[in-house]
This record gives sequence, C-alpha cells and structure tokens, in this order.
Amino acid sequence: MSTFGNLIVAGITSGAIYAIFAACVTIWFRVSKVLNLAIGDFAMIGAIGAAKLAQSDGLPTAPAILVAIAAAALIAWLFDWVVLHPALDWARGHSGVVAVFFYTFALSFVLEGLAKLAFGTDVYAAPAVWAGGALSAGGLHVQRAAILVIALAVICGLGLVIYLRYTVSGKAATASGQSVTGARIVGVDGQRLRRRILVATAMLAALFGALESPITGYVYNTGPTISLIGVVAAGFAAFRHPGRAVLFGLAMGIAESLIGGYVSTEYNEVILYGLLAVVILMVPQRLGLQEQYG
Amino acid sequence: MSAGLAEQPTRERSPGGMTGRLRWAAVDPLPGAGALAIAVAGIVAMAALGGSYNGLTLATGLGYGIVVVGMVVQIGYSHQLAFSQSAFLGIGAYASALLETKYGLSVAEAVLATLALSAVVALLSGLFITRAPGLALPLATLLLPLILYQLATFSQYLGSFAGISGVLPLIQGGSYQSTLTDTGMVAAAILGVVSFVAWRVLRSGVGLQLAATARDESMAEGLGVSLRQRRLELFVFGSILAALGGAVIASVQAIVTPDILSLSAELTLLVMLFIGGRRSIPAAIVGAVGIEWLSTRQPSVSSNLLIVEGALLLVVLLIEPEGLAGLLRRVALQTERLLRSVSRTRKPAEETT
Repeated sequence: MSTFGNLIVAGITSGAIYAIFAACVTIWFRVSKVLNLAIGDFAMIGAIGAAKLAQSDGLPTAPAILVAIAAAALIAWLFDWVVLHPALDWARGHSGVVAVFFYTFALSFVLEGLAKLAFGTDVYAAPAVWAGGALSAGGLHVQRAAILVIALAVICGLGLVIYLRYTVSGKAATASGQSVTGARIVGVDGQRLRRRILVATAMLAALFGALESPITGYVYNTGPTISLIGVVAAGFAAFRHPGRAVLFGLAMGIAESLIGGYVSTEYNEVILYGLLAVVILMVPQRLGLQEQYG
Repeated sequence: MSAGLAEQPTRERSPGGMTGRLRWAAVDPLPGAGALAIAVAGIVAMAALGGSYNGLTLATGLGYGIVVVGMVVQIGYSHQLAFSQSAFLGIGAYASALLETKYGLSVAEAVLATLALSAVVALLSGLFITRAPGLALPLATLLLPLILYQLATFSQYLGSFAGISGVLPLIQGGSYQSTLTDTGMVAAAILGVVSFVAWRVLRSGVGLQLAATARDESMAEGLGVSLRQRRLELFVFGSILAALGGAVIASVQAIVTPDILSLSAELTLLVMLFIGGRRSIPAAIVGAVGIEWLSTRQPSVSSNLLIVEGALLLVVLLIEPEGLAGLLRRVALQTERLLRSVSRTRKPAEETT
C-alpha cells in the first residue's frame, strides 16, 4: 500500500508539471491557434539558468530563479516580436497546420541548441527553495520540492480559473478561443493578448522548471519530451478546455508513475506514449481533435 | 503533379504572400528525364568524389534524398502532416542491419525484406493512423519517434545506445574507397528510380486526386475521391521510401544508432524538405544533400546543428515558404519581367528611329 501511495505521490508531482504545461498550451492555443512545442524548453531555461546562476555565479536562490524567469520571458517576447508577429499578423509565413506546429517546433530546437552551447550536456538542478530531506507520514515519503510544485500547481490552477472567469483579459482570451474574428470585432486585441499570454506561460514554465529540477534534474534536451506530454494532455482537452487539460496532465503523471512502478521502469514512457497514441487515434472526435487547419 | 493542378499557372496569392502574376506551382521536368538527370548527376558526383569523406557525405545525403522524395509527395503536395518519417527511417535501417548481422541475409535480400516489412508495418499502422482527422494525425505520429527511440536505446537486441555495427555495403568493392564509391552510385541509381516513381504518381490521375484532396477535402470527396484509400496509399508510399532511405543510409555508414529515430532526426528531415522546397523533388534532394553536407563537413554548423536547423526552418517559413525552389522561381520571374520591360522599352525606341 505504501508503494502504491508513494507512486501516486510521485505521479501527482510529475503530473502537476504536465498539468500546468497542458493548461499553458491550451490557453495560448485559444488566442494564437499555435501549439507551444517549446513550453518544456522554457522550463529547461528556468531550471538550468537558475542552477548555473546559483552555482557558478554565486547568486542567492531567489534572485537566480527570478533572473532565469526574466530570461525566459525575454525570449518569449522576442520570439513573438521577431517570428510570430510577421508570420501571423502580417501573414508573411506559412499558415494552416504548418503554422500550428512548426514555428514553436523550430524555436524548441534553437533553444535546445543554445542551451547545449551555453551549458553543455551536464545534468543541472537549481538549488532547492525549501531545503531539507523528504517528509514522511504514514509510510508516504514526499520531497519538499514536490510539495512546493504541487502547491504552486494548485495556486496557479486557481489563479487560472480566476483569470479566465473574472478578469477582462481572461474573458477576452475565452472570446478569442470561441472566435478570433468575432473577438476582434468586439475590440479584443488578439496580438497583444497572444504576446502577453506567451510571455506569462513562459515565465510560469520557467518557474516550475526551477522548482522541479531538484527532483529530476534537467539537461539541455529535457524540454521537447515534457513539451510533447503537455501538448498531448492539452490535445486530450481539444486545446480548448484548460480545466480538462489539467486533469489529463495529472492523469498522465500518475499513469506514468504506476506503469514505472508495476510494469517496467525502463519502458514506462514507451507504454504510456503508446497508450496515448492509441487513444488519440481511436477516439479523435471525442477528444475534439477533428478540426482541420489546413 | 506537374501536369496536373500544381503545374497550372495560377493567379493566387501564395501562402507565403508571394503576390504575382503567373506563379508556377511546379516546374519539375518530365519524369524520365528528371529521374535520369538525378541518377546521372549522383553517379558522376560519386565517381568524382571517390571514397573520400565528401563521398561519404554525398552518399548519406542521397540516402536522405530518398526519404525526402517521399515527403515531397506526402507532405509537400498532399498536406498529409505525419511526423512518422524518422520512425520508418529507423525501422528500415534497423531491419536491414538486423537481417544482415544477426540472420546472415545478403544485402539485396535484406533490402527487399526491409521493403516488404516496412510495407506491412506501414499498411497495418496506416489503417489506424490515416483515419485520424485534423490535429490527431500529427499529434499521434509525433509520439512515434519518442516510442521507437526509447525502445531502441533500452533494447539489448537492438544494440542499445551503441546500435548495430557491421552493416554490409550495397556493393562490396576491393577497398573501402571503391566500396563507398560503388555504394554511393547504387544509392544515386535508387534515388533516380524513386524520383521517377514519385513523378509518375504526381503526374497521374492519382496525383490529381491528391492535389484536389490537399486543396479541399470536401471538394475532393464530392468529386468521388476515396479519401481513406488515398490517405492510406500516401502514408504507405512515404513510409516505404523512408524505410528504403534508412536501409541505404545504414549500408553507407555501416552502423545504425538510436539517433536515427530521435525527434531531432525528424526535424532534420523536415528542414531538408522545407529548405530545398517542399513541392519540388530535385530541390528537396538538393536540400537533403546540402543539409547533410553542412552538418558533417562544417564544424561550426555540426557543433551547433540544432541552432542552425531551427533557425533555418524559421527563416524559410517566414521568408520563402517554397524554399530554395521558390526562391529560384521568384528570381526567374523577376528576371523574366525585367527582360520583358527592357524589350518593351526598346521596341518603341527602334520604331521611332
């Protein structure tokens, strides 16, 4: 029972990350119609950036994390300004399904390459914000970083609900999700909203990367895999329902942990990805993935 | 497609914003002549480079060329956005390597068996994959490289991280140099044949149906096109070519590692396609050889490959969605326009004199 409980706790921890990434992907897709395949790379920047600043440059933990988050925000803003603005607003680049995937796919690889160049292939972990050993209760062992991640995920989840339901900007994002053209007609500035949400989600991902890295460690190429899981979790919510995306993200984390514990530690991800692919292919309409972009 | 919809001069505004009068969506040559030119150019280049490192790069690039020819048909013309090419590239490379090193098959037997195996795998998986509408297809196929990469890295049978070495060349020569040269020449000949087949498909009635489907699925269905059948055929075609390319690359390099299955391998293939030109067979082949050359022969590029490939893809997507082929086409049109205006201004001058 304690094994099961510990696996569930571990699953909720990784699931919390996937859940937040899935929510970030969903909210941004609603306003931009672009999938953020680089969301995991922003987490990588947060994790490795904070670790490097704290370990090599001797910065205290909090400022190191803040600087790493600011770097992720700057990159996101620059990406929107240099690439997405001409591509989507001036219709300079590809549209349709190519735009949905390829711009952020390319950004992900650029960020991965830059991280490899700057930080090498070492494993990095930012200093723990809440230092100390794992906490134990009733046979369950929970790392302090995991508690922080889960708590922050709950806070962010609630914040997201409040943002979407009770703020003008959130309602504008919801309106854009329903109809970009309709939202524009009633005065919603989709471009500004897209940029703001991209920057905000990049910052959130960087924060989660920095907080979670003491548990798993981050390498330059950690980003694409976690991005993909976030995107798939968002896909299960048709890229439109952040709440459902959060639930699927959590479920994926728990499933991954249970498969790793009871079936195979080596092939847990293979089994999980295989199951996800089968579900996507078997019931795409039920997931809301039938929309054509092309 | 050259004789079909895609070759018709159009007055549309292209996705990349290329306003224009006449814009040729494709200026590919006749299948036989084009394929022969590709094969001859490849064979001559291999003979000139011999068994040098440049020869190895070209031979590998020709192997990738086989893969991107399939991608031109599948992604470029038909808009079937499946991220399964690196998966089938790996399946082809690993299958031929396993059949040769573990089961003692000759190269020809191994390549033929690989083709048959990949066709069966593509057909069976395609029955499910190609039914996926909208974003489900790219999403599900994005997971394939992750699944196969992890399988290959953890499987002792597949050689784990070290992969499988000792893959036989397509033709065994007296020395390493002659073996590489001959293998590269065979790869060029295979590329020629593959290009011929792709051109024939695109110029046939099936090619017209694919173009119609890419433009508007509802319209194509209304015209009587069996979407499910065409999607499946496309997927199988692209997958078989990817597997064949994988078998050729394994033979040229004599080794297969899990890297061939990674997500970055998929991006490399997409960059090759988009840099050259997603709707031009010769341009996509040039893209494949060019990217392979840059990634292996230029130390500054190879050590920063991810940055270069990602940045190149962004630049192409933003500046010239039709890649190198589109750029050349644009230059040709501008030159033609310039020449016409010059001749127009000369004529009245001559008449007055």
